[in-house]
Amino acid sequence: MNQKKIIIAVISLSFLSFAWIGYVTFNPDQENPGMVRFISLNDLSSVTESERIRLGGRISAGSIQISKQNQLECDFGLQQGELTVPVNFLGTRPDLFKDDAEVIVEGHYVNEKFVADQLQTKCASRYEGDLRDDSSYNVESI
Amino acid sequence: MIPVLGSISLSLALGLSAISIFLFSVFLKNADYRFFIAGWRGAVAISALSILATFLLLNELLISNFDISYVAHYTSIETPTFYKITALWAGQSGSLLFWLFILSVYTLIVLFQYKNSYTRLMPWVIIVLVIVQAFFLVLVNVIENPFSPTNADFVVVNGNGLNPLLQNLTMAIHPPTLYLGYVGFTIPFAFAIAALITKDTGSVWIRSIRRWTLIAWLFQSAGIILGGWWAYQELGWGGYWAWDPVENASFMPWLTGTAFLHSIIIQEKKGMLKTWNMILIMITFTLCIFGTFLTRSGVMSSVHSFAVSNLGPVFLGFIAIILLVGTYLVIDRASILKSEKRIESFTSRESGFLFNNVIFVVICFAVFWGTIFPVLSEAVQGEKITVGAPFFNQVNVPIGLLLLLFTGIGPLLAWRRTSKEALIRNFTIPILFGIAVFIACFFLGIRETTLISFPLTGFVAAAILIEFHRGTQSRSKRFNEPFFTALKTLISRNRSRYGGYIVHLGIVFMFIGFSGHAFDSELEFAMKTGEIKEFDGYKFELVSITPTERPNHIAWIAGLNIWDQENQLVTRLFPEKRVYFHKDPNPDKRQPHSELDIHSTLVKDIYTIFSGVDMEQQIAYLKIMINPLVWWVWFGGYVLIFGTMIALWPVKEH
Repeated sequence: MNQKKIIIAVISLSFLSFAWIGYVTFNPDQENPGMVRFISLNDLSSVTESERIRLGGRISAGSIQISKQNQLECDFGLQQGELTVPVNFLGTRPDLFKDDAEVIVEGHYVNEKFVADQLQTKCASRYEGDLRDDSSYNVESI
Repeated sequence: MIPVLGSISLSLALGLSAISIFLFSVFLKNADYRFFIAGWRGAVAISALSILATFLLLNELLISNFDISYVAHYTSIETPTFYKITALWAGQSGSLLFWLFILSVYTLIVLFQYKNSYTRLMPWVIIVLVIVQAFFLVLVNVIENPFSPTNADFVVVNGNGLNPLLQNLTMAIHPPTLYLGYVGFTIPFAFAIAALITKDTGSVWIRSIRRWTLIAWLFQSAGIILGGWWAYQELGWGGYWAWDPVENASFMPWLTGTAFLHSIIIQEKKGMLKTWNMILIMITFTLCIFGTFLTRSGVMSSVHSFAVSNLGPVFLGFIAIILLVGTYLVIDRASILKSEKRIESFTSRESGFLFNNVIFVVICFAVFWGTIFPVLSEAVQGEKITVGAPFFNQVNVPIGLLLLLFTGIGPLLAWRRTSKEALIRNFTIPILFGIAVFIACFFLGIRETTLISFPLTGFVAAAILIEFHRGTQSRSKRFNEPFFTALKTLISRNRSRYGGYIVHLGIVFMFIGFSGHAFDSELEFAMKTGEIKEFDGYKFELVSITPTERPNHIAWIAGLNIWDQENQLVTRLFPEKRVYFHKDPNPDKRQPHSELDIHSTLVKDIYTIFSGVDMEQQIAYLKIMINPLVWWVWFGGYVLIFGTMIALWPVKEH
C-alpha cells in the first residue's frame, strides 16, 4: 500500500518539476532573461524596445569611435552583409575587439540604435587557421 | 616513417576489433574455450595498438614533426616540452585518439583483472568494450586521422603553437581528468549490457562495477571542479561556471552517475530498482558519448568547441544504436528485472534514495533541455534562441536546494522504516541548528534565496556531523577507545558509508560557496597611476604600470595597493595585460591576454582584471570584482575528493 503512495509521490514530484522547467522556459525573468532571441538585422524593425536580443556580425571597418568622456564607452557599426546598425557599448572591450572582428552583442534596440551591455568577440582563429606565416616559403621556390 | 606506423596501428586495431568480436561470437555459440582465449588476445592487441599509436603521436609532437597537420596546428618550436605533451588533447583528432587511449588502458585492466572471473559476463563485457573501441577507431581512422599529413603547398617552418590560455597547469590536468571520468563510465555500462544479455541481473554485476563507477565519478567530479578553477583563474570574467554547453555536457553524466552510485546501494542491499539502475547507467554512458559529441562536433558554439566538423552524424548514429539496443534489452528482460522487495514506508532510507534519484534526473533533464533548446527552437520555429546562465540558475536553484535538503534527510532515515522516536531523536538537533542559522541570517539582513540556502547547509552539516559523533561515541563506549581512535576505526571499518558522508560535507561547503554568488559586486573603471578609487569598502590605489618583456610575450603589470576603511594595507595585487607572439609581424596573429590577480580569503575574493592600457597617459582600464565565499567551492571540492578516496581505498583482506 505504502509503495503505491510513494510511487504517486515520486510521479507528482517529477510532474511538478517538469511543470516548473516548462514554466521557466515560457515565462523567463523579464529583468534578466535566460532566453534571448538571436536576430538578424533584417528582422530588427519588428523588435520592441523592451525586448532583450542578441545580434551577431562584423565590426564595419573604421567605424569604432571611443568616447572622449568615458574611455569605456564606444560606438561602432555592426555589419551583416549589406546592412549595418549603429551600436553603443559601455564596458570593457574584449582583447580582440577591432575592425572587421566578428562580434556578438546583447542588449536593447532603442531609437534605431542598439545599446549593448554585453559584447563577445569570436575566438582567435590562430589555432585553427592558416599555417602560413612570414617565415613559410613555397615548395616550388626550393 | 613513424606517422605511417601510427596510421597502420590504428587500421590494424580496427580490423582486429572485427576479428575479436567474431571470435567471441563463435565462443558463445560452441563454448570452445580456445575461441575465448583468441578473442581475449585480440582485445589485448587492439588496446595495445591504440596505446602504441598514442605514443607515436606523442613522439611526433615532441620532435615537432610539422609534416603532420596536427603537430603543425597545435605546437610550435617554442612550445615548452610539457605543453607539447598536453597538445595531445588540445585539438580534435588528438583528443579523440586520447579518448581511445584511456579506454584502452581501462580495457586492459579489465581484461587482465577479470580474465578468470565472471566467466558468464566476461565475453559480453569484452564485446561491448571492443565495440566502443571500434567506434573511436572508425573516427580516428576514417574521419579525423591524427596522423594525416600537413596539407600545404609550402614548407611549414614553424607550427601555430598552443593557445596561451591552455598553457597553464590546471588546463593541462583538467581535460585528461575529465576524460578519465567520461571514459570510465564505459566499464559499468559494458557490465550492465552483459548482465542484461546473459540475464544475470542479480547483484553480481553491481558488485563488480561499484568500484569502477566510483573511480569514474571521482575523475568526473575532479575534472569538473578543475575546469571551474581554471575558468576562474584564467578566463577573467569572475565566475567558475557559465552553463556553457560543454560544461553542461560534463555535468549531465555526473548527475546521472551520482544518482546511479546511490541507487546501486539499494539494489545491493534490497534487490530493488534493478530496471532503474540499468536505465541510469545507460543514460549516463549515452550522455558521456553525447558530451564528447557536443565538444567535438561544433554543433554548439562555445569556448570549448573546436572547428565545425563532420563528426556529428557518426556520433548521433552511435548514440541511436546504444539507445535502441538498450531499450530493447530492458523491455525484453523486464520480467527478470522485477524488484525482490517493496518499499515499506515514506520514512525509509529506500524512499530517501528514490527521491534523491528523481531530483538528480530532473536536474539533468533541466540542463539537457536548456542545452539543446537553441537547436530545437531553430529546428521547430526557425528562430535561434540562446539560453544563458540566468535560465539555468532560475530553474536549478530551487531543485538544487531540494536536493541539498535530501542530502541531509536521507542518511538520518533507517532502512525499511524509521520509528517516530528515531525521527525525533535524529532530526531535533539538525533542525534546531538550521533554525538558529536562519535567525542569524535574518538579523544579518540576508534575504531571498540565500536566506534558505544558508540554513539548509547548516541543517545538513549538523546532520552529517551528528552521524559521525554518534557512531564514534558508541564505538568509544563499547570498546573503551579514546574518541579519535574510535573515529578512525569507525571510518576505516565503514569506508564507503563514512567516505560518502565526507563527500556530502564537501557538497555542503560547495553550496556555501555557490550561495556567495548572490553577493557578488563588480566595477569597471579607468584610472591613472597615483589615483585612488573606492569600491565596496576598499580603496584601490594604482601605484605603477610596469612594462616587461618575457620570452613569448610582453606584459604591462599594474601594481595595485588595496586598503581597507581604516587605511590598513589589505594586499598588493599585480594583474597583467599581456600580448603573446608580440614579435609576429602580422598583428592579427598577436594575441592579447589579461592575466588576473586574486586575493582570496575565507570570506571573500578580491578579483582584479587589467583589461586595457594606455601607456602614453599612464591609464589602466581595470575591472574589480568582489566575490564572497568562492574559497568554499574549492575547499568543498578538496573535501569531496578526499571523501571519495576514503570510500575507494581498498579494505585489507583478512
